[in-house]
Amino acid sequence: MNMTVAAIFKKDWLGLLIVVLVSGLVIAAVKPAFLSPFNLYVLMVSTSYMLIIALAQMIIIAIGQMNLSVGAIGGLVAISFSGLMEVHQISVPVAVLSGLVIGIACGFLNGYITVKSGISAFIITLATLYIFKGINLGITEAEPFYNIPENVKNFGNAKIGNTPIPFLLIIPIIITILMWVFINRTETGRHMLAYGNSVQSAELMGISSSKVVITAHIISGFLAAIAGMLVVCRLQLGTPNIGDSWLLPSFAAPVIGGAILAGGKVDVIATALGVLIVAIISQALVIFKIDPFFVQIFLGVMILLAVFVNRYREYKQEVRRKIFSSE
Amino acid sequence: MKSLFSIVASAAVLLSGNAFAGSSDTKVALVPGGPHPYFAAWERAGQDAVKDFGLGKADYKVPAEWDLSQQNELIESLVGKGYNAVLVFPGDAVGTNKILGELDDAGIPTAALAGCVEQPTKAKMCFGTDTGHSAYLGTKQLIDAMGGKGKIAHFTGFLVDPNTTLRIKAVEKAVSEAGGGVEIIQVIADIDAYEPADEKINAFMAAQGGEVDGIVTTAWVPAVVAAQALTNMGDKRIKMVGIDHDEVVLTAIKAGFVHGTMLQNPYGQGYIGSYAMDKIRGGCTFKVDAPWKSTAQTDQFIDSGTVFVDITDVDTYVDAMRGISLEILETFEGDFLDC
Amino acid sequence: MNKKLPNFIFTNQFGLLFLVLIFIVIFSTVTDGFTSRFNIFALSRVIAIDIMIGLAMMVVILTGGLNLALGAIGVCAAMFGGWCMEVLGIPIVPALLLTLGMGSLLGLVNGIITVKTGVHSFIVTLATMSIYFGFMTMLTEAEAFRRLPDLFTDFGSAKLFNKYVSPLLLVSVATCFILFYLFRFTDIGRKLIAAGANPEAAEVSGISVSRMFIYCHALSGFLGALAAILLTTRIGAAIPSMAGQLGMDWLLPAFLAPVIGGTLLSGGKLSVFGTMLGAVLVTLLTNGLYLLDVGEFWIRFFLGIILLLAVLLDRAREYLTLKNVIVS
Repeated sequence: MNMTVAAIFKKDWLGLLIVVLVSGLVIAAVKPAFLSPFNLYVLMVSTSYMLIIALAQMIIIAIGQMNLSVGAIGGLVAISFSGLMEVHQISVPVAVLSGLVIGIACGFLNGYITVKSGISAFIITLATLYIFKGINLGITEAEPFYNIPENVKNFGNAKIGNTPIPFLLIIPIIITILMWVFINRTETGRHMLAYGNSVQSAELMGISSSKVVITAHIISGFLAAIAGMLVVCRLQLGTPNIGDSWLLPSFAAPVIGGAILAGGKVDVIATALGVLIVAIISQALVIFKIDPFFVQIFLGVMILLAVFVNRYREYKQEVRRKIFSSE
Repeated sequence: MKSLFSIVASAAVLLSGNAFAGSSDTKVALVPGGPHPYFAAWERAGQDAVKDFGLGKADYKVPAEWDLSQQNELIESLVGKGYNAVLVFPGDAVGTNKILGELDDAGIPTAALAGCVEQPTKAKMCFGTDTGHSAYLGTKQLIDAMGGKGKIAHFTGFLVDPNTTLRIKAVEKAVSEAGGGVEIIQVIADIDAYEPADEKINAFMAAQGGEVDGIVTTAWVPAVVAAQALTNMGDKRIKMVGIDHDEVVLTAIKAGFVHGTMLQNPYGQGYIGSYAMDKIRGGCTFKVDAPWKSTAQTDQFIDSGTVFVDITDVDTYVDAMRGISLEILETFEGDFLDC
Repeated sequence: MNKKLPNFIFTNQFGLLFLVLIFIVIFSTVTDGFTSRFNIFALSRVIAIDIMIGLAMMVVILTGGLNLALGAIGVCAAMFGGWCMEVLGIPIVPALLLTLGMGSLLGLVNGIITVKTGVHSFIVTLATMSIYFGFMTMLTEAEAFRRLPDLFTDFGSAKLFNKYVSPLLLVSVATCFILFYLFRFTDIGRKLIAAGANPEAAEVSGISVSRMFIYCHALSGFLGALAAILLTTRIGAAIPSMAGQLGMDWLLPAFLAPVIGGTLLSGGKLSVFGTMLGAVLVTLLTNGLYLLDVGEFWIRFFLGIILLLAVLLDRAREYLTLKNVIVS
């Protein structure tokens, strides 16, 4: 484990951390209210569920695929979670469990069909996006569930003691740490990265494609489910639109965090910082009263920039490799 | 007192039987622009209209999304299924006119509810809240509550909603009439959905909360989210006037976090709209010199009523709206129709 | 026995045609209203637009890529055209040409970025989707262009063949024939297919794969703009929300039609008439479901299932072809 200074500097996330700190300071200089406890609280709240959504997409990017149904799974779980509690008076823990089961089932469906049919995950998850969203709309008929138990609502709003840190942030932080351990320290995690790097090499090494793909999709569904339920706590109702706006940010954060779409290279910490950057920018746009339409353009430009930077780095690496291997 | 008398009188008329008897051939479709809690009252209104007026059907059909093409497809398929009168919240103030024209060619009467289409149009009437006027009154209430001066923010709905621009202008008008002491510091639109509303409104509160003195919301979801935000923050300094009758908003009014709300009348729109369509099918026509109102979009506007409720009358709002509906119904035929 | 039946019976297109006819028969008998003039006319319009959207995506799928920005390009082109007609007062025909030009331009940009950076078109078009849509919304301030020339908007309501068919459908079908000719009988068409089927081999045989891919993206933009023009005449106004948020509403029909129609996602194989039949089938099914009172909220669900079944069937067919059970 090289923890020399040089090694730290090579890490993707250092650059991002600098961006976060600098942009935070710049905004705070212009608008001191940015650093106020309430504003930090709001920032942390929106980061909390976006973090899980980004990780849900990141794990699929790791294996070189895409999951378009992340938002649809989140929405389906969100309404199931709130619906079970409101209509069937199910207790909170059982409802949470049910939500997780639904998320796992959806993820399993995605992974299983992708592996068994050999069809690209893009198309499979495009279809399941409509299927899950369709079930969502069919059940709710586009009407939200309003009657969420009080303790759930409070969870969505509570802060830790006197700090501005929301309760909502605890779970995402735990998950981020677990994901880091999973990707970097467990065998399955490393298998996933290997698979993302090169399917043939992975299979030659004896890695089971089915296991890798299905596990990744199950994790993705599981995380999407958690995000959906957190959003319900936050909004204090279960509306079928939850998840509709997740697609772009779910890609933006990992890509900004250095992920390569072809697979095999993702960084949990960098992704987390990517989420933070997107959240800061979104907030800044409101603070500076910039045209809300500009957010769209901004996110798009950010993604392109991030991708160019990643590509450039890849290119430089390849050049370096070619130079060294020709010696 | 007057409204109580109206209710009793109308009830007597209704109970006395065939005053409003309609045709069981009439099949009305009530089609909103997309899913939204505001229109939920239309479902009940339609069912009651069938019962009270003897219509064949008055069904509430919702397009799965706020998309003009989907709304058009839904309407086309409903006509294919035999519906012969269509009440619609326009997916677009001009775009919807096309399909209304085609329905008219097919002999199907239509009307716009809760939002108007621009003229020229084949819709027989626009029956809705004068949203501009409602926003204007609401803002005036807010300015009063603020003591005549201060900074306000305006949260409103989808930009594709024909009402949104009217509301933005109305708020500006009310502010300009306040004699210079009031300033609009921010308008946030396109937040009639929970996730973006939560994000933007909270970001706003965090960044400008200290500077703003009043909030006016002219769309359902922002009203709910803003009411929630003020309640969670425990803030009673910032005055707020909301819109519509979501439980969250009403509770916040009772608790003192929100000053009041501008009620609309979705029930009345669906109920009387169905009645009117049935009459048209029965051969009545709209009088040319009827007491129409004019708005920015149309000269054939009928006001479905709006009323400001605050902590003093928030508990009886349902009766207030029903009273207005019955009042309108009573005089509708006489005022507007030639039968 | 199999060898005696004509090969084309086992093609995807024949299967589709068969399904289309079956569903027409089923819906006509089971529902009332399906065969009404109003319904068929309405259907002809939706089909026309969906065919065009499907064709626009098909030419990018040919390269093995995707064009998520299709809806955004369509809306941008249409709003540009609306601006030309209403604000600049440009006559209809030149304005339409400008619209098509704008669509091609936006598609061209997508193609250039994709090819020059080597980044997958999914991410490029995911980004350009927001950029194009964002700029359009900012420049138009989400205001629609509603006073378009009557001649233009009347085209959308015009009725032919005893009021059963919309001229929009004729435009789409004509486009299908032109594209079919392009890909089957012209040199450039065959080069486009070769580039998509096997880029390395194509490069070796002297085809500039980069240039071919760029052309595909530009063509996609062109067709997207054409689809948007059809949609605008149908609506009667150029409105920013015509394709949904960021243009995403077009994604399902855009993929459904080509994929059902036998265009392979891996690139290199397309079917123009398959795409056309795919669009017809999907629209028919949706319409039938509405008429059968399935509940408008379950339509999405069914569309997703249809897409899934379509791709699975396609896979099965490929598999069986390899095993020589079916002649391809």
